[in-house]
Amino acid sequence: MPRVIFEDIIKSYGKLTVLKNLDLAINDGEFLVLLGPSGCGKTTLLNLLAGLLDVTAGRIMIGDRDVTDLDPKDRGLAMVFQSYALYPTKTVRGNLKFGLAAHKLEKAEIEQRISWAAKLLQIEPLLDRKPAQLSGGQRQRVAIGRALVKKVGVFLFDEPLSNLDAKLRTEMRLEIKKLHDELKSTIVYVTHDQIEAMTMATRIAVMDAGVIQQFGTPDEIYGRPANLFVAGFIGSPAMNLRPATLSVSGSTVAARAAGVDLDVSRYGFTTPPRDGQSVVIGLRPEHFGEPDAAVADPAGNFSLPVQYSEKTGSDATAYLKFGDGLIATRVDPEQIGRFKQGDTVNISFPQGKLHVFDAQSGRRL
Amino acid sequence: MSMVMQSGEALVDSAPRFPRKRKGISGRSIAILVFLSICAAFFMVPLYVIITTSFKTMEQIREGAIFSLPSPITIEPWINAWDNACSGIRCEGLKVGFWNSVAILLPSLALSMILSSVTGYALALWNVRWAGTFLFVLFICAFVPFQIIMIPLIILSSGLKVYGTIWGIAIIHAVLSMPFLTLVFRNYYKGIPQEIMSAAMMDSGSFWRIFGEIIVPMSGNIFIVVLILQVTSIWNDFLLGLTFGGLGTQPMSVVLANVVITTTGEAAYNENMAAALLTAIPPLVIYFVLGKFFVQGITAGAIKG
Amino acid sequence: MALRWSRMSPQFALTPAVVITLVAFVGSIVWTIYVSFTTSKAFATYGIDFADWARQYERLFKDKGWTIALKNMLVLGVGSFLAIVFGFILAAMIDREKRGEGFFRTVFLYPLAVSLIVTGVAWRWMFNPSFGLQGALHSIGLTWISFDWLSKPETAMYGIILASVWQGAGFYMALMLSGLKSINTEIWSAARLDGVSFWRLYAEIIIPMMKFTFLTCAILLSLGVVKAYDIVVAMTNGGPGQATWVPGYFTINAYWVKSNLAYASAAAVLMLVITGLIFLPLVLLTAWRERSRTA
Repeated sequence: MPRVIFEDIIKSYGKLTVLKNLDLAINDGEFLVLLGPSGCGKTTLLNLLAGLLDVTAGRIMIGDRDVTDLDPKDRGLAMVFQSYALYPTKTVRGNLKFGLAAHKLEKAEIEQRISWAAKLLQIEPLLDRKPAQLSGGQRQRVAIGRALVKKVGVFLFDEPLSNLDAKLRTEMRLEIKKLHDELKSTIVYVTHDQIEAMTMATRIAVMDAGVIQQFGTPDEIYGRPANLFVAGFIGSPAMNLRPATLSVSGSTVAARAAGVDLDVSRYGFTTPPRDGQSVVIGLRPEHFGEPDAAVADPAGNFSLPVQYSEKTGSDATAYLKFGDGLIATRVDPEQIGRFKQGDTVNISFPQGKLHVFDAQSGRRL
Repeated sequence: MSMVMQSGEALVDSAPRFPRKRKGISGRSIAILVFLSICAAFFMVPLYVIITTSFKTMEQIREGAIFSLPSPITIEPWINAWDNACSGIRCEGLKVGFWNSVAILLPSLALSMILSSVTGYALALWNVRWAGTFLFVLFICAFVPFQIIMIPLIILSSGLKVYGTIWGIAIIHAVLSMPFLTLVFRNYYKGIPQEIMSAAMMDSGSFWRIFGEIIVPMSGNIFIVVLILQVTSIWNDFLLGLTFGGLGTQPMSVVLANVVITTTGEAAYNENMAAALLTAIPPLVIYFVLGKFFVQGITAGAIKG
Repeated sequence: MALRWSRMSPQFALTPAVVITLVAFVGSIVWTIYVSFTTSKAFATYGIDFADWARQYERLFKDKGWTIALKNMLVLGVGSFLAIVFGFILAAMIDREKRGEGFFRTVFLYPLAVSLIVTGVAWRWMFNPSFGLQGALHSIGLTWISFDWLSKPETAMYGIILASVWQGAGFYMALMLSGLKSINTEIWSAARLDGVSFWRLYAEIIIPMMKFTFLTCAILLSLGVVKAYDIVVAMTNGGPGQATWVPGYFTINAYWVKSNLAYASAAAVLMLVITGLIFLPLVLLTAWRERSRTA
């Protein structure tokens, strides 16, 4: 049963429309990540759900309640903010307690919930401190604690990890994931960081320009991007996208890009390919074969000059000249010596990992 | 790199190899300091003169040496000024005015602080559609000359039977300071992060509870700044006290003006100066003790407005 | 949309402020403007003689007292500008020479904590012809200096200006100082590296950068000049004769002494108009800034 439903949501400020006829249903117990570049409307959507903003048109359901016109506190939600938004003059305990302000609870129940959340998040020794005396990671835990004590069915997270350093971010990522597994509650999580999305989400809604571009599991999003935007947004380094023209003769289909023919005969076209159709082919850098070694069922073998290469410690990327542009290929850092500038390398790409998009609509074929 | 390291280590315990000459004070600095000192003297002269005059006897004053130190020193002018200086036909000194000022100050402070902080909070942190328009009107109101609203306010306060009473003056102070103080509070509250307010909306959603539990504890500084601003401006006010004060309810500054201006016969200059000092002492004490907040207060409106 | 309590409570909390604004400010201003067209004397009457609706204003401009008041306002305005210049010089020097900053700031600013009545009383005493500064100067033989400005109609306004500058210069110094401090320190460093001379730095870089601070100061000062009242009462009480009348004094005098409601109202309306004119450059400047930002 869906836990949260957005129906035909429109949000506009004057002439500027931020969300356009958006529909989305989130299942009970799901960890949904709203992923997209800044300004795509993901935070707006979260704020609409929280009740911090009002929809221009549309309906929001939580469970079987229509909450479109309810105050934030009456929606049965808890939220963790990007800046944590802890009350600076209250102690950690006071912060957690104020989280229950709208719920008329008995003292014992409040105490019990606070100690439960404090134990779960290992912030018991911090309960009597003020937020200013806490480190970033500790503040983050308190912010989550303030949401947890409400014991609501749906938790909202607004880019909660973006103010942490890289190491803490990885730690907290795991911890939020663990919490979700333990509590089995529904989580709506906004981020622009695809690693967070890929590691934590049960499903991801990729948003751009106020529209959900694709809604699916992390594997679907990565493996079968629905359109050019998703293909270009997910993956690092980004997918190589090259314009190409299809030529169909009998059962063989080829895509010609920058003078190279790629065999796409066994590509799973959802609509039959037309001869002469303009398409964009997508090749993920990490799917190229090793240099001078053949891959099974290649779409094509390339012999390309190296423009430059860079190492990032555990990884390395080589940029090869392809037509009048560059394509990136992921390289084993041990092998980086084989990609010297000016050298020509022979690499191949497996047909099964290829993506083909219609050049006009941008949709996956 | 290693060379630098070595020489650095070698220097740890020995005298510096390239000692610098201690810089003396430059000619320009001296010129500036001299100029500033002369200006400081200009600012201090009146204070010096009224303090010395207030301790002089009338005989010494008649000698005409305004800068001379008092000899003999007498505190009689101070006693007279406080206790029996005459304003018009009443000779009760400034003490009545002093207590009137205190009685005006307290309720008026409470009223204006509550009124403007709540208004500023509602305008800064809650969604009120006409907030922008209202702020603009308040901005205008903060600068209109008092004379344009004086007569209707007199008529209104007479109608409400508060004209000429302590409460009347106190309320008028709170009302007239509301636009400006609201703008000051509103500017301060605008600086509170939106997310704190969002969190509070989700946690409680109650206008008053958020104000009392979250916002007021976060606004310590601004309350002190506004408090000092209000204390000095109410204490130093003359026009409102003159307009709305009745016989026996006039604040200290009005009594002072009456004492100094409505003199018959030879003026008791020493008494006048003592009276002026008595009136000036409360704000001066605040200024010298809490100067930092005072400066913040007087520049608050100007810089952000 | 459904009625939500969360929307009502802020509006409810704003009610007192809105009522005050509508009654004590907007309503009162409208009332005063209306009454200025009537023939009210000691009590308000609401009939307007439409054939002669501007009579109070016509009378005003024939009234010598009002003309003097307007002229004095201009004199006071021009003279008080010294306070801004003086304030800027003080601020620049304090900012330049950090030594003794706290001390000088405290000394220059303390007059502001003192009421204008006390200021007036103090300066009135300094200006006392026989026992004041003049007496002291004459007694050491400087008999050619006259410092009895307040007792002569030609010079009384200058006395008031001197006292106003004494009281207000510290305020403008404080504003200028915070303006100077908000200038990026890198500009000072850059100027030092470039070897820009002291005077050129101020004339070509610092003062143009602070033009908004100067405008703020100018507007605040002008508003203060239009409202000037306390200092006049304390120093000269309008005298000698009508020599130091200012619009604020004129208006209150018309109401309390002449008991002429409509006449006082008309004068007050003109004060409001002058205030509006002072705000005009600010409004235009803001509008111009908005436009250049969007363009």
